[in-house]
This record gives sequence, structure tokens and C-alpha cells, in this order.
Amino acid sequence: MTEVTSDVRVIIAVAGKDWRGELRSRQLPIGAAFFGAVTLFVFGFALGPDRAALAQAAPGLLWLALILAGMLVVSRLQQLETDDGAGEQLALYPASRGAIYLGKVTAALPFLLLLGAVLLPATAVLYSVVIGPALPALVATIVLGSFGFAAVGTFYAGLTARMRAREILLPLLLLPVIAPLLLAAVRATVAALAGDPFSEVASWLGLLAAFDLVMVAVGAATYGTVLEE
Amino acid sequence: MPQTTIFVRPPGVPESAPAAVETRELSRLFGGGVALGGLSIRIEPGAAVMVEGSNGAGKTTLLRILATALRPSFGTVLLDGIDAVATPERVRPRIGLLGHATALYDDLTASENLRFAATMSGIPSPDVEPRIGTALARVEMASTANHRVGGFSAGMRRRVALARLLLGHPRLVLLDEPLTALDASAVDLLDGLLAEWAGQGTTVVIASHLADRLGAPIHGCLQLENGRLARVSGPGIAEVVPGREQLAAALPSASW
Repeated sequence: MTEVTSDVRVIIAVAGKDWRGELRSRQLPIGAAFFGAVTLFVFGFALGPDRAALAQAAPGLLWLALILAGMLVVSRLQQLETDDGAGEQLALYPASRGAIYLGKVTAALPFLLLLGAVLLPATAVLYSVVIGPALPALVATIVLGSFGFAAVGTFYAGLTARMRAREILLPLLLLPVIAPLLLAAVRATVAALAGDPFSEVASWLGLLAAFDLVMVAVGAATYGTVLEE
Repeated sequence: MPQTTIFVRPPGVPESAPAAVETRELSRLFGGGVALGGLSIRIEPGAAVMVEGSNGAGKTTLLRILATALRPSFGTVLLDGIDAVATPERVRPRIGLLGHATALYDDLTASENLRFAATMSGIPSPDVEPRIGTALARVEMASTANHRVGGFSAGMRRRVALARLLLGHPRLVLLDEPLTALDASAVDLLDGLLAEWAGQGTTVVIASHLADRLGAPIHGCLQLENGRLARVSGPGIAEVVPGREQLAAALPSASW
């Protein structure tokens, strides 16, 4: 078996194992989507009834809700490895560390995209935002943003998994690193909803794609240190 | 002071080069304390070794280091002559570990857990299903193959974890408190597996404080106290100090 075939098998095995378990229990998709929707709702309360203010804040609040609920996703997928010592066994398999990392990123991605599929229409309803022709650009932004978040979140969830204060450390470490992703995603969303008058969506999407590539490459190259002791 | 090396060898089996397990001055520090202090042992292929000691004696630390799950603070570990500290990826395919935890995923069935383990271990696709069937049958869990392990008792989980060891053909099997939660029939099952491994020349290291429940032959017992070797016993034990290695050859079956 070639190394690439073997790595693909590992990626599918890791992602498939997480999908199968979480779709069977349904805790993660339902819990994270509900939390994200409640967060959007509470943000709306905090801003008051001014529809113009709500619509103006909508892109930022959408991405904050996606990131907060996304942290539940990466944290829960990592918890599967800390329950009953599975993570130690995972580290002892003679499989490529990069492939295991890509498997965990692949596992997180559909749950993050599901969040986007729920929270985007929820934002439109709660904040009186008209999506209409902006939909393709918004979908591209959510796909690239979710991938970048999965890449960074998987790494830091793994890094903090065996630490005592992991619930505190994960957001402390993760949020500063994803600041460029948040900036690019929010700016792309603002531009898309405004009809992209200055043709800036593509450049923000380019920045998101570059962020994703760098982060996934760094994660795959260094995940061995996360898995090991 | 010269460091004593403990040799463990099945009676009648000549010393091989390299040993299945060889540690030199193996030490592990935790938070300023010594979890394992200066352990030098040499275990020949096919030997069954029991590591005994009270809680905190260093049994689990030793097994985790041998499994490459934990790096030693000092010292060397050679498995089949390969440096397990410098190149853990080279020795991992040879090791089977049953740790304190069963390392199973609750929301997956027994066979799904084993399928994952088989894939991650690099077992070729056509061999996966037959091996899962054989392994589950061997631990008498075939009838619950498609049940989620989250609903299993502790003993049933232990059996599935044992089945995971049977998927591959490890040359070194490490069992940490394997008797925990096992009923009498499961202990008999484990005895049978130990006999099979002995017949295949597989080296087995067991950490337990319930050693008297096992009926399988043990070639050497290492008693740890506070991370240090306190006593050794068994039909396959010999001790040597550096410069007097010929003693090991002269005392292949010494009892201490």
C-alpha cells in the first residue's frame, strides 16, 4: 500500500469514526446549532430593536456566533479522544500524525458547515438582512472560514485536551490566532451583503484561502507534538 | 556503584541478540518526584514478566514508557534492538498495549471500534473483517459485535480491548492491570491468551497487583517500590553487574 493510500485510509477512518458516533448520539450537531442560534438571539436583544443597527452589526455577530458555537464542535470532537484514554491509543497507532490531524479537521468541517447553514438564515431573519444575490459569496466565505477554523481549532483543542484548565485555555489560545480569519470573514460578508460595490469580496476570500493553507500545513506538520505526551 | 541488570529469559531459551526489551538506567521524574528510578532490565523474546507493586510504585509508568506513550527522563529503551525513545514510530507496529483505560469510543459498536483500530494499525482492507470476527469470537463477544460499547459493562469493555490486541500480531504485549473487572471465565480467557502468546514467542509484560489470579507461567516477577526495583523472583531471572555479563550465561534459570 502506498503512503498516500494509507494516509487517505487514516483520514477517512478518523473522520468517519467521529461522524458516525456524533450523528448517532446527535448531541453535537443539535447542541452546537441550538447554541449558535441562541447566541444570535441574545446578541439581538443586547443591540435593541433598531433594525438598521441590527443589520449593520449582522456580519460581525454572525461570525462571532459561528466561532463560539464552532468552539463547541472542536472541543467535543477532541473530548472523544480524551474519554476513556482513546487519545493515548490514537497516538500509539503507527499512522501518520498529519493524516490523523487531517482526519480530525475533516471530521469538524461538516458540523461547522451545518452551523453556517443554520446561522446564516437565522441571521437574515433575526437581523432583517436580505441575502438574495449575495448567497454564493456568503457560502464561499462560510466554507473557507469554516475550514480555517477547523484547521486552527482542531490543533488547539488537541493541544489543550490534557491540560487541567482546558476550557479556559482553548478560547484564550484560539481566539487571538483566528483574528485574521475573523477580520477577513467579516469584511467579505459585509462586502457581499452590500452587493460587492468595490469588488473586494474576492480579495478577502483570497486572504481566507491563504490563511487556511498556512494553518492546515502548520497543523499537519506539528500535530505529532500535540498527540505525543 | 555498578548498576545491576535484571535478565528475564524463558527457561531453556538461549540469550538472543537483540533482546525483546532492554532498558538501561531508565528513569522518569514527575513534578520533582521519582516515578521510576534507574531500571535496567533485559527481557528475552517469549518471556512473560510480571511487574508488581503497590499503587504509585511505578508499574504503569514503566509500561507506558515501554509502549512509547511516555518519554523517559533519562535512560535508554531498546525494543528488538531499536531505540524506542529516539524512533518510537519504528517500534509501535510491534507493540500491543492494554492500558488502564480501554480506549474505546462509546458511541461506536464493538466491531466499529475494532474496524477503526485495524485501519489505524495498517491492516490490509481484505483482512480487516475476518480478523475482527476472529478476535471477537476469541474473547466471546461475537454476539454483541454490533452493540454500542457505551452500554457494555467494565468487563465487556475489557474483553473488546483484548480483542483489539488480537487484531495484529504484536511482538511485545503490555498489559496494565488486565484483571481489573474480569470475571473468572475472562481470567481463564486471559490465561489462554498468555499461553498462546508464549507459544508464538511473543514477549508479555504484565503490571498487576492481582498476579495470583493468573494461572499462566510467569518467567520473572519484578517488584517495584517507589519507582525502584525492590525484589526479583521467578525461574527465568538472573542478575548481572557491568563487567560480569558472563554470569547471565552461567545462570540461565536461577531463582532469586
